[in-house]
Amino acid sequence: MNDPLLLAAVALLVPLAAALLLVVAPPLRHRGTPAAWICIAASLASLAAAVRLVALHAQLGGARWTTTWLFAAAKPIASVGLCVDAVSTAMLAVVTLVALCVQVFSVAYMHDESPRGFGRYFALHALFLFSMNLLVIAPNLLQAFAGWELVGLTSYLLIGFWFAKPSAARAAVKAFWMTKLADMGFLFGLLWLFVASGGFEWSAKLDPTVATGVTLLLFVAVVGKSAQFPLHVWLPDAMEGPTPVSALLHAATMVAAGVFLVVRADPLFAQAPLTRETMLWIGSTTAVFAACLALVQRDIKKVLAYSTCSQLGYMVAALGAGSAFAGFFHLGMHAFFKALLFLAAGSVIHAVHSNELSDMGGLRRKMPVTTFAFVIGALSLAGIPGFAGFFSKDLVLASLEGRAGWIPWGLLMGAAFLTAFYMGRTVCLAFFGKLSPKSEHAHEAPLAMSVPLLVLAVPSVIAGFFGAEFAHSLGAHYEVHLGLTPIVASSLAVAGFVAALVVFGRRRDASVASAIERLDRASFVDRGWEALYRRVLLGLSDVLGWIDRYVIDGLMNLTGYATLEAGSAVRGAQTGRMRHYLVAVVVGAILLAMLGWAR
Amino acid sequence: MTLVHCLLLAAALFSLGVYGLLTRKQAVALLLSIELMVNAANLVLVAFAKFAGAPTQPIVLFTLAITVAEVAVGLALVMLLYRRYDDTLLDAASEMKG
Repeated sequence: MNDPLLLAAVALLVPLAAALLLVVAPPLRHRGTPAAWICIAASLASLAAAVRLVALHAQLGGARWTTTWLFAAAKPIASVGLCVDAVSTAMLAVVTLVALCVQVFSVAYMHDESPRGFGRYFALHALFLFSMNLLVIAPNLLQAFAGWELVGLTSYLLIGFWFAKPSAARAAVKAFWMTKLADMGFLFGLLWLFVASGGFEWSAKLDPTVATGVTLLLFVAVVGKSAQFPLHVWLPDAMEGPTPVSALLHAATMVAAGVFLVVRADPLFAQAPLTRETMLWIGSTTAVFAACLALVQRDIKKVLAYSTCSQLGYMVAALGAGSAFAGFFHLGMHAFFKALLFLAAGSVIHAVHSNELSDMGGLRRKMPVTTFAFVIGALSLAGIPGFAGFFSKDLVLASLEGRAGWIPWGLLMGAAFLTAFYMGRTVCLAFFGKLSPKSEHAHEAPLAMSVPLLVLAVPSVIAGFFGAEFAHSLGAHYEVHLGLTPIVASSLAVAGFVAALVVFGRRRDASVASAIERLDRASFVDRGWEALYRRVLLGLSDVLGWIDRYVIDGLMNLTGYATLEAGSAVRGAQTGRMRHYLVAVVVGAILLAMLGWAR
Repeated sequence: MTLVHCLLLAAALFSLGVYGLLTRKQAVALLLSIELMVNAANLVLVAFAKFAGAPTQPIVLFTLAITVAEVAVGLALVMLLYRRYDDTLLDAASEMKG
């Protein structure tokens, strides 16, 4: 197995084969457990192929294979295939590793599910892994679009996994609606790109106006998929899905697809300074805004969801500053520690049967492994020096130095403080302090749950140290330097943790804590979209419905009605008596004869 | 006997046929009336061939053949009418009233 393309094909197609097998063989799916094993085996094969690819890529370099597709007017207009390079191999490794951990975790987490539900869950997971790999390995934007839409579909199906619950069904529809709205940007961007360049290449050369237009349209899709302000509202609601799904799709991989797209299409974005400026501002605004919202959430998953928005904001800001490597590096690190945090939160939710932080507390003594994992994740996310998150966040912040009058830099520094503060708050409320009634009976997670936690904890700590090699393989430059940014960032992170410990720690400062928790939830964005949906979209549907019902159908009905009326008006002529008809024939013949004579 | 005599005879025959067609109720009588009209037409054709030298005699043969077919179909219809309504009066079949 030394052919990079063969390995890439294995990583891509084995999950597809698993998904298809589970689709066409209902007995396997309905029994539940076999489906889980098939899915996990496929992910394992995919992971093995991806790891081997990373090693091979370091020796041999990239490879590319494409085949033509979509014949139109005798000339193929697109191609699909496999693109093996530094970005795709690294992303493949991250995606498959997190996916495998999440799937193993799910075996224990979804244990109470009916066998049919269990099987459906793993079939969807296999489909998701295929879709994500299809996107990651895409040699052009068109294939990426196919993967993009497929991950959107699996996201919808998995958010609505418990579709019998109205809130889950609604959240799934909302996520689908919001991301679909944004995907229109992708579609129009693709069309424009094709018209302008005759292809869908990642690195097409465009003239400046077209480049700006195309990249702005693509960025709209990124805003939707990566939950940036103001389209972020679907992500917190998506937490209605099972927690491992949130870990895989809505934290580590799928939402990062937007960032990945920009990293991939960096040559396009480099031609559009205006788009990059927009990304810089949207990213840094989202980072701060979402961090503020994370501060006031009472649901542990919502804290993490807003935190994901905030961290994606960091990545988008770095990409806006023109540092694709910083964004991509943070994407990878974030995938590890955020998946870890979500899985640890899942373990807690599994133990106390509640998402509410107020139902937790004091879990440190009951669940030491989970606590350890969550704290590692929190420290990494907050960017405490030495942890993975520190290196990538430092790189993001360093890329922003001096940009746009240091304002985005300042915003992200503020967000770094808030990040440490809200993670400190979550850790204090969930794992320290007094035991709550619900956490009395909590127990440590089973092995299938704690092993993935420990596996993910490793890269959450050490992955940052491989930054230089990673940068080298991507052709970017990376070095840790002791300057203004790392010092300010790490002191803010430590300060945030200390402040959280003071406010929410053992001697809980009730007044400050409740003041913070009473802050407006700032759901105005949500309400704005809801109003837009209800008034504008549904209003428009009503108008169109009225036109359809009364104008278009009206014309049809009028035609039918007029024909019927005309028929009843002349039906008297049909007496049914043959002699009357004979008279008519004779009279007609005479009239014709007279007519002929007159001429 | 001239062409005019023949044409007058044909006109009289044709009018007789039309009269019968409009006044008779029996289906068989209608067939007979139609036969009269066809023969009037044949007479005209033959007269033109005889007195004016028109090449219309072969047409008469065709007309005769068609008339035979018409009578066969017409009588079959009359048979069906009788089977269905136990009557050969045309007014019996008035189900096509609008």
